[in-house]
Amino acid sequence: MPAYDFPGGIYPPERKSRTSQAPLCAAPLPSRVQLRLRQHAGNPASPCVAEGDTVQVGQRIAKREGMVSANLHASISGMVSHIDDEAITIDADGLDKWQMLSALDWRTASPHSLLERLEESGLAGLGGAGFPTHVKAQVAGHHAIDTLIVNAAECEPYITADDLTLRSYPHEVLDGAQLIAKLCGARQIMVGIEDNKPQAIQALQHVLTEQQHPIEVTLKVIETRYPSGGERQLIKKLLNRDVPSNGLPVDVGVLCHNPGTLLAALHSVRDGKPLVERIITLTGGAIRHPGNVWVRLGMSVAELLNHAGLSRERLYQVISGGPMMGTPLFTLEMPVLKTTNCLIAATRDELPPVPAESPCIRCGACESVCPEQLLPQQLHWYNQTEADDTLEKLHLFDCIECGACSFVCPSYIPLVQEYRAAKQRIRLKRIESAKSEHAKHRFEFRQARLAREEAEKQARRQARLAQNRQSTTGPHAGPNTAPVADLRSLRIAQTAAKAAVKKAEKVLARATEQAPNQRHDDLEIQLATAQENLKAADTRLAEARAAVPQKEAP
Amino acid sequence: MSMMHASPLGAAPSTAHLMRWVIIATLPGLGAMTYYFGLGVVSNVLLAALIALGAEALVLTLRSRPLRPALTDSSALLSGVLLGASLPPASPWWLIGIGVLAAIIVAKQLYGGLGHNPFNPAMVGYALLLVSFPAYMTLWSPPQPLVTETLWSQIIGSLPTAALDGLSGATPLDAFKHKGEAVLASEFWASQPLPEGTLSAWRNIALAWLAGGLLLIAKRIISWHIPVAMLGSITLLAALFYASDPSHFASPLFHLLTGATLFGAFFIATDPVTAATSRRGKLIFGAGIGVLVMIIRSLGGYPDAIAFAVLLMNLCVPLLDIYTVPRPSGQPKPARLPTQGGPQ
Repeated sequence: MPAYDFPGGIYPPERKSRTSQAPLCAAPLPSRVQLRLRQHAGNPASPCVAEGDTVQVGQRIAKREGMVSANLHASISGMVSHIDDEAITIDADGLDKWQMLSALDWRTASPHSLLERLEESGLAGLGGAGFPTHVKAQVAGHHAIDTLIVNAAECEPYITADDLTLRSYPHEVLDGAQLIAKLCGARQIMVGIEDNKPQAIQALQHVLTEQQHPIEVTLKVIETRYPSGGERQLIKKLLNRDVPSNGLPVDVGVLCHNPGTLLAALHSVRDGKPLVERIITLTGGAIRHPGNVWVRLGMSVAELLNHAGLSRERLYQVISGGPMMGTPLFTLEMPVLKTTNCLIAATRDELPPVPAESPCIRCGACESVCPEQLLPQQLHWYNQTEADDTLEKLHLFDCIECGACSFVCPSYIPLVQEYRAAKQRIRLKRIESAKSEHAKHRFEFRQARLAREEAEKQARRQARLAQNRQSTTGPHAGPNTAPVADLRSLRIAQTAAKAAVKKAEKVLARATEQAPNQRHDDLEIQLATAQENLKAADTRLAEARAAVPQKEAP
Repeated sequence: MSMMHASPLGAAPSTAHLMRWVIIATLPGLGAMTYYFGLGVVSNVLLAALIALGAEALVLTLRSRPLRPALTDSSALLSGVLLGASLPPASPWWLIGIGVLAAIIVAKQLYGGLGHNPFNPAMVGYALLLVSFPAYMTLWSPPQPLVTETLWSQIIGSLPTAALDGLSGATPLDAFKHKGEAVLASEFWASQPLPEGTLSAWRNIALAWLAGGLLLIAKRIISWHIPVAMLGSITLLAALFYASDPSHFASPLFHLLTGATLFGAFFIATDPVTAATSRRGKLIFGAGIGVLVMIIRSLGGYPDAIAFAVLLMNLCVPLLDIYTVPRPSGQPKPARLPTQGGPQ
């Protein structure tokens, strides 16, 4: 038991035994799959097959688009029957013909080829967030990573997919961890696992004693307490490091991966098998054969649950993910995604509807369980009046949406839903204000350009006037009609304009360095404005100097 | 979005359960009070509870709010019970009525009902009665049998004032307060100023409230922070006063075991709606009540001071909430809220 701990946390009923004791098996091949173009974090992939094409299992059907995105592969062999903005549908031919990539040895392959392989295989985090694995590995390139954490805590009730993965494939998961650790330069690997998975712990211990690993692996068994599987909580618990607010684990030298992702990573490298299937926990009181199954991506939830013996009469709701952070499905006619780790077909008795909300009595139960040490009741209060500044000061954006507060709330207030809505509202507001800022900056640029043109025109006219005067009356004849500009203030203005340009350049450079793959239109236009201002100031100064050459001492 | 909730699973109480548990926890204290002061305690509590429910229903009807959820959450009932327990036994019905109406209608519903009231409703009612009807509010009789002849006429308010005076005694805190500057504490106690058994009656009642309070902490209905901070600061200050001049100040034990100290610490100050929210805020809130209680008892004009101390600290809660925001993990430094538009 590590000495460090995260605050708060709850002990919901685990309800894992129904599935943890059933053997891992394979779901039948679906007759049709619907593969969503966006089943990972980031941009949707863009289709690279056409309707009517014949595809094989593992053939790429959509390629990643932009920086954060992932490839998509056919999960059954057959014919592409439909393509739209959302998904590609494939009708099976029943042959299950595979198209594998070449096998690589992760011990000898170059980092470049490994990265390329992860990208090619369409790997995304299978724990739930679906962050593309190759991007995560690349992020590691900008930061010094010392520890790879295998997040096997699996703290949500019901879910046993990681448990079964570790029990069935302990060698592969640890090899996958070695692969990723090598890729990101980690010096140690830590497996964080809750003590309610004795068989998985035993399997891991067995592998660790019998096999030598190039990068040191430590097994850390932690107390079963939700949400110990939150990245920030697990890092605190295993390493006593605080991931900064708005930061990522890489900021404290850590990379977290789910066992399922590591297994998929090894399969993609060792066997050349792209991500076309995953392990899903099928559970809940409304199915007769609960357990963990290998499922082809894109299989319909209804088909999968029917296979597990779904009883529609007993069914109250189906939840994708765990009961704490998952989402209820409004229709079963939806496909399994890369991020679907669990399907709960719950009866009304086991996950009853939430009773009607009553007023907050500030009892503080939520506060005592918040793993981020926020004040959920205060967030709730200020959210009622949409006091967004105050919400941000109360660290709304540090909320990890674990649902511990909603779980204990005696007034049944849907706190996490409120926080999500508030975050969304504030994000929209930020975008709006960024837009209006940008419009303002464009306007300022136009003004600056007009001013510069005006100054140049003025300078030309002045020059012409002076020339005319010279040619008709000769030099130094008659009064100087040009307005005697205050050279001193013009010089100051020019210096200020120069400083503004330098500052704008610096800001742009820093922003580009921090986010090289984003556009910085707003900053660029601000720089252009500053440059226009400088040009105008230069022109005016030059003109004033020309008008009164004798007055300016060198 | 959490689909799992603790209370349907029996893992944590709902608001109504919380309130009912607090009411259950008042039973030892109320029982002890009834044992020593007679059925007048029961009549107080029943009348106050009934009027509280009636007042709540009336205002909810006027506000066109659904009656059922608000009445079944037992929060009005609890306010009534707590106010009834604070009043001198067998208080006349109109006195109870005025106090409860002030508590439920003014202090609670006019601010928006449950969860929105800045001041502890029961203590608003009590403080109003204390400043408006001091004669009735100091009519604590000495320990007496369960049923007295005058009980009924006291409750319906038909007993002449002169007869009332004959019934009343002084609470230990009151007696000590009015012992006079010239009288030393040792002389005061030697003179046996209180009727036989008064001190032990108050002590046993206080211990019964303590038992109820410990039950609440054991059931995790309230957290330990406020009672511990409040009792701690009372003990500390009383010890300081006592050490500085034992002949004029009462001992810490006297302060803890007479008057409403333990009742207030576990049942009044812990009202979550009107207390500070963060753990640090709760500690400051409780300690502040203790300090005010000791200052008013020792230097002010009232023998007991729970109501005033609690109400004054209720006033400080928005400020406490602003300055005691805990630092989330990974946050560089504590943030402060803007000092406007706070809850309550």
